[in-house]
Amino acid sequence: MNCDEARLLIGADPGVTTTALEEHLRGCAACAGFHRETRALDADIRRALEHPPDLARSRAAVRPPAWRQWALAASVALAAFVALGVWVLRPSDTLAREVVAHVQSEPESWLATEHVTAAGIEHALRGAGVQLAITSERIRYAQSCWFRGHYVPHLVLETARGQVTVLLLRHEHVSARRAFHEAGMSGVIVPAERGSIAVLARGGGDIDDIARAMQRDVRWLPGNP
Amino acid sequence: MRPDLVRFAHWLARDRAIAEDIVQEALLRAWRSREALKDPSAARAWLLTIVRREHARLYERKRLELVSLDEVMETQASPQPAEPDGNLFALRHAIMRLPIEYREPLLLQVVGGLSTEEIARELALSGTAVLTRLFRARNKLRVICGLTPAPDGAPDAAVAGRESTP
Repeated sequence: MNCDEARLLIGADPGVTTTALEEHLRGCAACAGFHRETRALDADIRRALEHPPDLARSRAAVRPPAWRQWALAASVALAAFVALGVWVLRPSDTLAREVVAHVQSEPESWLATEHVTAAGIEHALRGAGVQLAITSERIRYAQSCWFRGHYVPHLVLETARGQVTVLLLRHEHVSARRAFHEAGMSGVIVPAERGSIAVLARGGGDIDDIARAMQRDVRWLPGNP
Repeated sequence: MRPDLVRFAHWLARDRAIAEDIVQEALLRAWRSREALKDPSAARAWLLTIVRREHARLYERKRLELVSLDEVMETQASPQPAEPDGNLFALRHAIMRLPIEYREPLLLQVVGGLSTEEIARELALSGTAVLTRLFRARNKLRVICGLTPAPDGAPDAAVAGRESTP
């Protein structure tokens, strides 16, 4: 065994012992010194390998590039914006949610193209204690629907922004306007002279003007039907 | 055994959290394929193999965030307060910096306790190639520790490419 072979063996595995290597080390002081050094180094390597450096701690200390900080800030702002949007547009309470559910349960209401007859309107309004100052040509759907323990008029009106659903909720009181957006519908519930009025439209857009018109065009009869 | 596997995975992946994930997944795979382990005395090498493959699979599955070690070293320009020996500190980071082809056989030998022949089988290399890689790994670490490197007479071909075990 020559010195190169001996050092290759020692460097590869300082703990290795072969007859040929031992014989070479007895006769070569330089390789014997190399052997001692390498064994000491190997002891250090073993100690070093006991505990890997905590790079996670180091990574926390590494300052991220500026663009990453901006991206992080932007993502936080976006998340806050989305959360705010969800909060603002959420169904304001169970009343709004139930209005949406009711309209979803009558999908055919959106499909009517013919106006409702006077008799049909009268039937829908019967027992609700309301009169409408709306011409029947604008009413595409009119039913008296069971909602929260009462029969309420469920109307679909033809408006400048398309068909709009209106529920006249004599027994549901709200203190202020509540807007919501759910299931692809925009809605608003506004206080009325007696109870409230729910207005829904498919898609987005402003329906406050329609809600205001309904507040004006619905006449609530006295008494408690 | 599990701490050794985590340590091995940690040195491979250079990240403690990833190492824990790798070992968890590896142990799960090992349990599922426990029938494949014929010789219980080979369990250690068998588990190390699964950890290695899981580590490789992890990098195939998703592109992990790469961290510049130079950047990391700059932030750790001095040993941590709990680190009493600056030499060990330098050594640890030198091992981290070793290219994977040198780091891996060293880890298999020192942490895994595998023989040269077992490492050769594990890495699909010739015995000579393994000796050369281990020699060069230690030679690089010698320099870090202020020792004179040994003349490198090892055949380059053994390091440059993978060779089948003879």
